[in-house]
Amino acid sequence: MYQALLTNRYLTSRVIPLLAVAAVALCVALVIVVVSVMTGFLDMVRDSGRKLMGDVVISHPIYGIPHYEALLEELTKTSGVAAATPVIDSWGLLKMPYPQGDSKTTRTVQIWGVEPETFEQVTDFSTSIVWRQVEAYSPAWQYLLEDLFTQQSTAIIEALDLDQRIALLCVIKEDPELRDATPEDRLAIANQLSLESWQAILRTAARVPTLTEECLGTETWQSILARDPRLITPDAILEDGVTISRDNGTIPGIVMGLHVSELNVRSSDRTTVPHNNWYWWMPRFDVTLTTMPIDQKGGIVTEPSSRILPVANEFQSGVYLIDETRVLVPLDVAQDLMNLDEATIVDEFDPDIELGVDPARTTMVLVRAEQGLTPEELQVKVREAYTKFYEGLIKEQDLLVWPPSPNSLTLNIMTWEEQQAGFIGPVENERRLIQTLFSIVYVVCAALVLAIFWAIVYEKTRDIGILRSVGASRTGIVWIFLRYGLVVGSVGAVVGLGLGWLVVTNINGIHSALEEPPLILSWIFFVLAAISLILTVVLSWRGSLLPLVLGLMITVLLTILAIGILLLDGMGGVAIWDPSIYYFTDIPSSLDWWSAFGTMVGAVVFSLVGAIIPAAKAADTDPVKALRYE
Amino acid sequence: MSKLIQAHNLHKTYQLGRVEVPVLRGVSLDVEAAEWVAILGASGSGKSTLLHLLGALDHPDSNESSISYEGSLLSSMRPGALNNYRNKSVGFVFQFYHLLPELTVLENTILPGLVGLNRLQYLRRIGELRDRGAELLDAFGLSHRLSHRPRELSGGERQRVAIARALINKAPLLLADEPTGNLDRQTGEEILELLKAQHRAGLTIVMVTHDLTIAEQADRIVRLEDGVIEPAKESHNISR
Repeated sequence: MYQALLTNRYLTSRVIPLLAVAAVALCVALVIVVVSVMTGFLDMVRDSGRKLMGDVVISHPIYGIPHYEALLEELTKTSGVAAATPVIDSWGLLKMPYPQGDSKTTRTVQIWGVEPETFEQVTDFSTSIVWRQVEAYSPAWQYLLEDLFTQQSTAIIEALDLDQRIALLCVIKEDPELRDATPEDRLAIANQLSLESWQAILRTAARVPTLTEECLGTETWQSILARDPRLITPDAILEDGVTISRDNGTIPGIVMGLHVSELNVRSSDRTTVPHNNWYWWMPRFDVTLTTMPIDQKGGIVTEPSSRILPVANEFQSGVYLIDETRVLVPLDVAQDLMNLDEATIVDEFDPDIELGVDPARTTMVLVRAEQGLTPEELQVKVREAYTKFYEGLIKEQDLLVWPPSPNSLTLNIMTWEEQQAGFIGPVENERRLIQTLFSIVYVVCAALVLAIFWAIVYEKTRDIGILRSVGASRTGIVWIFLRYGLVVGSVGAVVGLGLGWLVVTNINGIHSALEEPPLILSWIFFVLAAISLILTVVLSWRGSLLPLVLGLMITVLLTILAIGILLLDGMGGVAIWDPSIYYFTDIPSSLDWWSAFGTMVGAVVFSLVGAIIPAAKAADTDPVKALRYE
Repeated sequence: MSKLIQAHNLHKTYQLGRVEVPVLRGVSLDVEAAEWVAILGASGSGKSTLLHLLGALDHPDSNESSISYEGSLLSSMRPGALNNYRNKSVGFVFQFYHLLPELTVLENTILPGLVGLNRLQYLRRIGELRDRGAELLDAFGLSHRLSHRPRELSGGERQRVAIARALINKAPLLLADEPTGNLDRQTGEEILELLKAQHRAGLTIVMVTHDLTIAEQADRIVRLEDGVIEPAKESHNISR
């Protein structure tokens, strides 16, 4: 039992064991942070892959799958299938509304033509819609109002009767001519104003919405706003996004990935704000989507297809690669653009002779599994369903267009993981590599404990002699230092876990602080450096060297930190986690408890390994020599 | 009187680099129970080595050498029995006290009592042990120092703690290596008085010293010179 007493006293009355605990804690925290981020990264890759694609993907690129409606019907009848949706996957050019002037930016985009309702069932994409509400009188609302008053000025004016027009004049009542005019004069002025003048008045009215509402009366005001549902219903923007359309589903729209446009700027609180104080808020604008359809023989159709589409909303999947390139359009729009819509088949030699119908196609079908079914199990069921669909169709003798056979080389029925293998594989390998490399940290941990314990054994040599002289056995001596190692390892592991947890859970905050270093921190460090310098001078006044050295070191460290923050700020911060490299906009910030537990066990084991050699050395110490040791 | 410890023909040579330094050259010594033997000798005469051999901290070189305690040969004891011998039969007092700096005075005193206790025995006997430690320290005038650390004590006080530690397990034999060598005269005398009192109570003491006046306090003086006992110079102090 004397070992417990001595271990306890050695730990609580010396600085050296605290250094050992700190070394182990730092090693543990380091491994926990790195492994947690890497595991979180892989989990995010997996999660997002599944979220974006469903569990199983049937794909037949370029030519597509005809009669896909029958396939969807077959799939929905299959047990284990929760939902299935057709998707057209293609590439195209997107002409953006910016910059101002005639020469606009054009970007290459991945076009996904989707059926919003079933697409939502497979991928929950509505949760990724970015603009969910337009608050009245917010900057976005204000711009929508000005757009409405500019674009529909003629219609708005024409819808107003003379009294309402006169009422509208009050928005420019500060005009001296109008201010002093009598109601009769105003009537005369209203009658004389040209359409252009009324349009100018409307533009002014759009800038002072509360005054205009007051002048026109709530009823007229609301009737004007109703021309754009987003102005009267805050949630209409979300509805536009979910249905990929505008104006209550009447106009097909486009939902773009948040970073397809370069004008959504990430702010320090990790939210996105449109550039130029909401002026470049994409749902205000239209974009032009151009594709180059491929014909059934694999050649390019001479004429590219173009379509102007209003931006219904934007989405953020969290995968930067997707958010930067993908746009969603309604399936029929994509079919139209890619020449995958229904067409009449005519005789090769006499185009007037109609032979039949080439049905609409889709290039992919995404399938979502019911709860409890693995993607691999679903894959088997989907294969069976496809074979059933194919066999059902070939029985129909008069069919002119066939879907690809289940054995076709160009038809793929893959799980989302197989589909994304090129993406997930390297990440998995990277994680394994980093885990292996960081395992070296354990060896560092053991070496640190060994070095520190070696020093402790030297320091305690005489104690060992004393203990042997009062009857302590060699195993008893070994056990003192092993206990010591065990306690140092365990305490270090727990402290390291706490430290690692703190860093991992706040990693995005820490990263933001590096991106935009808080200047106040710099001044705090300067003040602390000054205090430290004063204390150093006072404490070392008596001539002791240690307080002088320690004090100067602390002062220099604080000064370096303060200057470092200033420099970092001057350089515009450092973004270590660049979303365009790491795919995700946020750093994974959840602790991987299993690997943390493994790391802690490793730290304890390696602390014991580090302690066992000094412990054996201690046990071998000759008590007579130990007693003479000074 | 019965022999408590008997040393026969003890040889010990130390290796200093390539040079062999014989320290003990055939020393024989018998100590009766309740006897106080002073081993007198100059520095380097081998007196501390003799004490280490008697206390089983070291072992003699030659197979012909033997030490027996109450008739049992130390050389035939297994390591566990030797640990037990050092713990229960012998108490050591050193010139430089050798207290553990991290432990309090009371903890240092009861340390030999703690060695050899398992968890269950510890729970059963710790109270008793602490009481005995406190009693001993009280008897040595240190009752106000129980929770102090050794560095807060004077030399004399530290040596008293060391003696209390040697007595905590009621060992019949006390091996004292220059117990007053690091103390001023008055404090040294106080320590000797303390040893005398313990001797009167029946404790066997083997004390090493280079100071004749201190050696004269013992029942018998054994003079050691160059690793051998000078028979002519062995004397019995009958005036005590």
